[in-house]
Amino acid sequence: MSTATRNRDVWWMTWFFPAWYAVFGVIICLLTRVTPPPRPDVTAAEKVAFFAQHHLTIQIGFTLLLILLGGAAMTNGLVCYQIKRMSVGSVFAYGYIGGMSVGALPGFLLVTVCFLTAAYRPDRNPELISLLYDLGMLSYNGSLGCFTAAYLVLAIAILYDRNEVFPKWFAYVSIWQIITEVIATQMFVFPSGAFAWNGSIAFWLAVVVFSVWLGALIVLLRRAAEEESAKESAQMVAAQ
Amino acid sequence: MQILEQAQDLPTAGNIKAQWVSLWTGPAVGAVLLVAAIAFPGFWPPMSPTMSADQVAAFYADHTAWIRASQVTFNLCGILIVPFLSLIVVQMKRMRQTHVFAYCYLTAMVSGATIFALSNVFFLVAAFRPGRNPELIQLLNDLAWIVFIAPIGMVVSQFVLLALAVYFDDQEHPVFPKWVGHFSLIIAAAMVPAAGAAVFQTGPLAWDGLWSFWVRNGAYALFVIVMFFVLRKAIQRQAVDDGVISA
Amino acid sequence: MTRTEERTETVGRLPGDRDMWIMVLGDMTIFAGYFVIFMIYRAMNRQEFLVAQQHLNITIGVINTVVLVTSSWLVARAVQAIRAGDVQKSIALVVSGGVGGALFMVLKGYEWASKIAAGHTNSDMFYSFYYVITGVHLIHVLIGLIVLGVVVRELRNPARRRAQMVEIGATYWHMVDLLWVIIFALFYVMR
Repeated sequence: MSTATRNRDVWWMTWFFPAWYAVFGVIICLLTRVTPPPRPDVTAAEKVAFFAQHHLTIQIGFTLLLILLGGAAMTNGLVCYQIKRMSVGSVFAYGYIGGMSVGALPGFLLVTVCFLTAAYRPDRNPELISLLYDLGMLSYNGSLGCFTAAYLVLAIAILYDRNEVFPKWFAYVSIWQIITEVIATQMFVFPSGAFAWNGSIAFWLAVVVFSVWLGALIVLLRRAAEEESAKESAQMVAAQ
Repeated sequence: MQILEQAQDLPTAGNIKAQWVSLWTGPAVGAVLLVAAIAFPGFWPPMSPTMSADQVAAFYADHTAWIRASQVTFNLCGILIVPFLSLIVVQMKRMRQTHVFAYCYLTAMVSGATIFALSNVFFLVAAFRPGRNPELIQLLNDLAWIVFIAPIGMVVSQFVLLALAVYFDDQEHPVFPKWVGHFSLIIAAAMVPAAGAAVFQTGPLAWDGLWSFWVRNGAYALFVIVMFFVLRKAIQRQAVDDGVISA
Repeated sequence: MTRTEERTETVGRLPGDRDMWIMVLGDMTIFAGYFVIFMIYRAMNRQEFLVAQQHLNITIGVINTVVLVTSSWLVARAVQAIRAGDVQKSIALVVSGGVGGALFMVLKGYEWASKIAAGHTNSDMFYSFYYVITGVHLIHVLIGLIVLGVVVRELRNPARRRAQMVEIGATYWHMVDLLWVIIFALFYVMR
C-alpha cells in the first residue's frame, strides 16, 4: 500500500508549471524576440531586416514552441483543477478553461506560425512580410477578451470561495490583469508612443503586472498543493 | 434571488451564486456586443464581397476610428460570453445521462469561440495600417469575413449536442423543457447554409447576404436570448431542489 | 472558523482586511507608474500638452472632485455609524456614498462626450493619456459601486453584518477618491 498521498499527480503538474513558463520565457524573450516586442513604427524593409537578423533563433525558438505548446494545456488545466476545489461548483472552472483555451490560438499560436512563415521564405515581397509581422504581433499582444474572461471568472471564484484555495488578494491581482487588458486595446490605434504594442503603458507596465500575477500564481499553486497533501495525510492517519 | 440563511455557507449555495452571476453576465455582455455591432460601420449595410481592393482600402480609411473602436470592443468582450455558455455545460451535467455530451459541448463551445476571436484579429489588423497595399487589406478583410461567417461547424455541434442531451433527459422534471431540443435543431438548420459565404460572392449565401448574415447572426442572437430565460428557470429550480432558496 | 472571524478584537487591529490593503497599495503603485509615464511624456512635449490642456473644463473637474470627496466622507461616516452599532444609518450613508459615485460617472460620461464632440479624441497625445487614465479610474469607480452594493447587502443581512465589511469597502472607496484627486491635480490643475 503506497504511502504517497493521492495528489502526487497534482505535485507533478505544480512543478511542471514554473518549468514550462521558464522555457516559454526563454523562447519568447531570448530566442524569438517577441517579448519585448519589435517596434510597430518601422518600414517593411526594416521588418525584413528583423527577420533576417533573428532568422535562426526564430526558427529554433518557435519550432521548439510547436513541440512544447501542449504545456499550455497542462498549466491551464492545473488552475482549473484548483478552481474546482473551491466551493463554487464547476461553472467558473469551465469558464477558465474556455477563456484560456480560446487564448491559446490567437494568443501565441498565431504569432508562432506567422513568424515561422515569414522566416520560411525570407525573399518574399516585403509587404507580405510586413503583413505577417503585424498579424503576429497584434494577435500576440492584442488577444484580450479570452484572457479577460478567464481572469474575471478566476477573480469571482476566489472571492466567492469558502474553501480558501487561493487568498482573496489574488482575486484583486487578477482584476489588475483585466485592467491591463482594457488598456491594451489602445495598441490597435497607436503605432508609437506609450500605448503602442511596445509602449511603456500598453506593454512594459502590463508585463510588470503580468509577472506579479504569474509569480504569485506559481507560489499559490504550490501552497494549495501543500494544503491538499496535508489534508490527505491527516485523513490517512485518521483512517488508520 | 434570496438565499436561505441556513444554506448561506454551503457549497450548494456557492454553486448557485456562481451560476447566478454567470447568468447575468449574459445580458451585460450581450448589451455591450449589441452596441459594438451597431457601431461597426462594416455591418450597415454588410460590406459586399464584390468590393474591389481599392474600395475596401478606402472603406477602412474612411471609417478607421469607428472600425477600430467597435472591433476592439468585440475583441475585449466577445469571449466574455464563455461564462454564460458554461452554464449550459453545468446544467447538461445534471441531466439523466452520463456527462459525455456536456464535455463534447464544452469542447465545441471553446473551439467556436476561438474562431470568433480569430476573425476579430483579422479585422483589427486590416484597420491597423491605412497605408498598406489595398490588395493586402482586401486579403485581411476576406479572411476576417470568411472566418466570421462561414465556419459554423462547431456551433452546429453545440446545438445538436444540446438537443440530444435534452431528448435523452427523461426524468420526471427534466432540466430543460423538451422544446429546447427542437429549438436548438431549428437554429442549427438556420445557421448551416452560412458555410456558403466561403464560396459565393453574391446572393443570399454571400457573407453580406440575407441568409449568411442576417439569418445566421439573428438566429444565434435569438438562441442566446432564449437560453437566458431557460437557464434562469433551470437555476432557480436547482436552487429550490438543493435547498438553497425557498420554493 | 474562517480566517476573517479570528480578528474580532478592535484594539491594535488593522482596519478593513489585509487582502484589501494589498489591493489598495498595489493598485496605487500601478497608478503611480501611469502618472510617472504621463509626466515623462509631458516633459518631452510641454507645449503640445499645455495647448491641449486648455480645452479641459476645470469647472467640471472641480465639481467631480467635490462630489467624490463628499461621497468619501459619507462612507467614512458609515464606518463610524456601524462601529457605534447603528446599522440603518450606516446603510443610508453607504447608499448616499454610492449615489455620489454614480453621479461622478454620469458627469464624467458627459464630459467625455462633449470633448469627443469638440474633436478632442485620442489622436491627440495629451487626450490619449487623459482618456486611458480617467477611463481606468472610471472602471475603478464602477467596481467601487459593486463593492458598496455588496456592503449594503451584507449590512442588511443580520447574520453577516459586521464593521470589518464596511471598513473594507471604505478602504477601497477612499483609494478611488485619492486617485481622482491626483488625476485632477495632474490633468486639470497643473499648468
